Amino acid sequence: MNPEILLMTAAMLGLGALMARWLSARTRRGGKDLALSLGLFSGTGVFMAMGSIEMAGRYGFSIILALVGFSLVFVLSPLIFAPIRRLNEIIRFATPVDFLTFRFRNKSVAMITCVSLILATLPLILAQITAIQAVASYLLNSDYRLLVLLFTSAALIAINLRSIQVGASNHLGWIMTAAGLLLLPALGFSAWTSIETIFGSLGEMNTWVSDSGQLNIVKRMDLSYSIFTIFLIASFASPIHFSLLVSDNISERQTGMISWAYPLLVLLACIPVFPILWAGISVKSFSPLQEYLYNLPALTSHPLVAGLGTASILLLGLSFSCSLILIWSKILMNSFLLPTKKLYLQPGLSLWLKQRQGLIAVSLIVFCTALSLLVKSRSITDYYLAGFSGLAQLTPGMLAAIYLPNVNRRGFIVGLVAGMSLWLITIALPLLFGDWNWQLPMSDASIQVGMQNWNIWAIEALLVNIALCIIFSVFGPMDAEQKSFAAVCMIDNVYIPARVEIAQKSVAEITSSLRLSLGDAADSEVSKALDNLGFDHAEVRPSALRQLRDNINASLNIRFGVLTANRIMEKSLPVTIPGANEPDDIYLIESALAIHGNRLTGIASELNKLRMHHREIIDNLPIGVISVDQSGEIIKWNTTLADYTGWDSKTVTGSSINDLPEPWGSAISSFIASDSTALDELRLELGDQVRWFSLQKSAQHINPDQDTDIVVLIEDNTNAVNLIQKAIDNERLASVGRLAAGVAHEIGNPVTGIACLAQNLQHETETGQIAESAEQILSQTQRINRIVQSLISFSKGGSALSKSRQKIELQSAAEEAIKLLTMSPSQIVVDFRSAIDPELTIDGDYNQLLQIFLNLLSNARDASPQGGVISITADSTDKHIHLKVSDQGTGIEDSVQSHLFEPFVTSKDPGSGTGLGLWVVFNLVKSLGAEISISSPAENSQCGTTATISFPLSSAV
Amino acid sequence: MLNYRLVATLLLLCIVVFPMATQWAVEPDGNWFRPFVVWAMIVFAAYVAYRHRGPDES
Repeated sequence: MNPEILLMTAAMLGLGALMARWLSARTRRGGKDLALSLGLFSGTGVFMAMGSIEMAGRYGFSIILALVGFSLVFVLSPLIFAPIRRLNEIIRFATPVDFLTFRFRNKSVAMITCVSLILATLPLILAQITAIQAVASYLLNSDYRLLVLLFTSAALIAINLRSIQVGASNHLGWIMTAAGLLLLPALGFSAWTSIETIFGSLGEMNTWVSDSGQLNIVKRMDLSYSIFTIFLIASFASPIHFSLLVSDNISERQTGMISWAYPLLVLLACIPVFPILWAGISVKSFSPLQEYLYNLPALTSHPLVAGLGTASILLLGLSFSCSLILIWSKILMNSFLLPTKKLYLQPGLSLWLKQRQGLIAVSLIVFCTALSLLVKSRSITDYYLAGFSGLAQLTPGMLAAIYLPNVNRRGFIVGLVAGMSLWLITIALPLLFGDWNWQLPMSDASIQVGMQNWNIWAIEALLVNIALCIIFSVFGPMDAEQKSFAAVCMIDNVYIPARVEIAQKSVAEITSSLRLSLGDAADSEVSKALDNLGFDHAEVRPSALRQLRDNINASLNIRFGVLTANRIMEKSLPVTIPGANEPDDIYLIESALAIHGNRLTGIASELNKLRMHHREIIDNLPIGVISVDQSGEIIKWNTTLADYTGWDSKTVTGSSINDLPEPWGSAISSFIASDSTALDELRLELGDQVRWFSLQKSAQHINPDQDTDIVVLIEDNTNAVNLIQKAIDNERLASVGRLAAGVAHEIGNPVTGIACLAQNLQHETETGQIAESAEQILSQTQRINRIVQSLISFSKGGSALSKSRQKIELQSAAEEAIKLLTMSPSQIVVDFRSAIDPELTIDGDYNQLLQIFLNLLSNARDASPQGGVISITADSTDKHIHLKVSDQGTGIEDSVQSHLFEPFVTSKDPGSGTGLGLWVVFNLVKSLGAEISISSPAENSQCGTTATISFPLSSAV
Repeated sequence: MLNYRLVATLLLLCIVVFPMATQWAVEPDGNWFRPFVVWAMIVFAAYVAYRHRGPDES
């Protein structure tokens, strides 16, 4: 046992864990990015720590090409992972198996891909177990193989179960970060201490490398093409790369950052590899090359660095194995267990899923550890070369899925099965059970199968895979479903969910339908999808329900895999695919273009700008625009219409036209259903206002055979209708005025004659009764005269009166009016109180002002009780003089107040007033440039009325 | 859409730059760290290509 190094290993494990937890908990961008890069960096497992040194010794500078190839996938991520990422935003894939199943649409695809992925990555797990065993044997200084395997299995099971319980990103993420965090300093310090101790300095190492011929040895670039190709292609299909890069936990910015940060980390890790190798060779170390990382520092008495190395290898081995086992258990469940499972019969579905995944993971760990005991022991490099050769077989299918729409299911399956079979026979089985030669019959030649010719078999298996895939795709049929999903997966495709019809009309219906497949778990799925979309349970818009269905589908894809999710959706939420002649969903296309618009280039970008320009024009039109598709779904609702109705486009778009709230819903839908193309006057009561709209539409009615939507234009004509109404009123009044003038003229002359005769009669008789009658006749003729004068005033309007303007004192006009009224007989005696500042004057016509006072005070007197007080006040502000006439009368009814200034409107008893007094006042006030308002009850009182006239200072002097 | 600029750059790298760089890196009288210089240049090119990525959407 090496107690010192064992202690250091334990210390480094603790330190790495602490630092990784601290780094993962950082909320700042830099901390998260570094943790992510380090976690991804440790996704190569123990290869960087052990395999790279051995491979450098075996293949020289080819290891650099291999690692460049392996990290180049991140530089090329816009061509490889970005299209899948975009699709993942809507469909959601957890593993490459899900993506390939989605593309090639078959259960057999899922099963074959799943088995292929597990077989290809099995050597990688064995490499981790071998590495852990090597480190444990070194630390314990003895070969406790079984004991070490037991502890390794226990640790793997514990980490896996915990990861399944709390989520891999929460638990396994920081272990991978810790592994990456320890690996870089382990390699760096190991190289540095080796150079310092063994060579003395970097210069002396360079001299030794040249003199010993090692430089020429490493530059030999053996198998560089095969190694570069296999590493590059394998990294495309790496399930860990896929899970991390396609995950929606990583932003676009982070994928950009990883594209240079990951190659940089691998570069930094690769630089120390050659100095470590040369140091080991120069001291003629007996330990295997793959163990130089911790052997050399121990040899040069640097236990801390050796502990750093062993700790990093242990963490790398455990975290990488756990990641793969988690992915294996997930794809096994999704491909074999769940597609036939009746989930609705399973109470506590979430717990059951976790338990089953945990059980599968434990079985896999036991299987792997048992297998490692049974098979032939190999170097880490061999395991990785074999594993990567197997992973490379999945890459043609993945690239074809993105780039080649004509590759069909049969081509993919035949190619993959042939490639994997060849790989299994020529590389995998010999790796596990030893190389063998196959003597060709009737010949002296033999075929050597095994790791000694791994490069030939790896490339040949790949070529067979590609060739069969192409041949079977070219000559094999491809059904419509495959074609449509092939088009969806293309790199330059902007995925837009098809405009489908779903039977469910509400969230409740969707939930109850989903229960048929998921049981009680349906409620949480629907709630989660509603939260994601920001919808509520009352949602009924067809487009919103389609989005809800898509979101549930995506969530089920992640949870159960594409196969099971499809089965559930087809059973519970089936859709009707629209016919070929039906139009696309403009709303969905617009949504997709809004998301992906920045990816458009060239003429597509220019067309998108044009689209946005036209959209802006429609939005900013001064009339409301609504576009309705054939199914009655609203696909356009511009901002003017949003102003009219108070409902913004986001709320309304996607709704059925029949679901619009009243009064708009019935108005618009009945107009669309009608034969008329125009409706000139639609009267709507919106709140306390009455508004008038004119409607026009583009088509006669919704016709399912036509490919056109219906466009309805809605214009607010309220102002125009009011103006027309006013013009009609004015015309009516004008005709009444002309009639009144004629009547007044015709009545005035006989009345004057009657008055003269009555006066004569009064002067010529002494008889009291006759004189009294004459007096009454005179009184009645005066009343007739007043009425006639009112009619003449009405017929002339305000403009007909004198327009001579002069400086008028308000007080003198008010007092004269009071005097005249006092002289005029009335049954009601009131007290007129004028309190106007003599200095207040206005610029206007004296007679007009006098008429205003007379009418207002006369009305006030008529409304006042016996002995009531009528007050006349005036005050001035910066801009106005406010004249107020208040009485203590009964006030004016609310129903009359709004019409007070209209002609022939009166609150007096029938026969007591003509209803023209206030109308005349209103016109006179207008001609003076002033404003009048009536408030009842009077200001600061519970009764009475106050008339307020505001003279502007331009007329005030 | 397909990133034609990236594709063109990769083609140029594969056809012209990569063979020249490989040849330079393994010249018999060259230093052992020459391949790492080439690699560092690839990393720098990737950094330049992706440094204008927008802010986080997540």
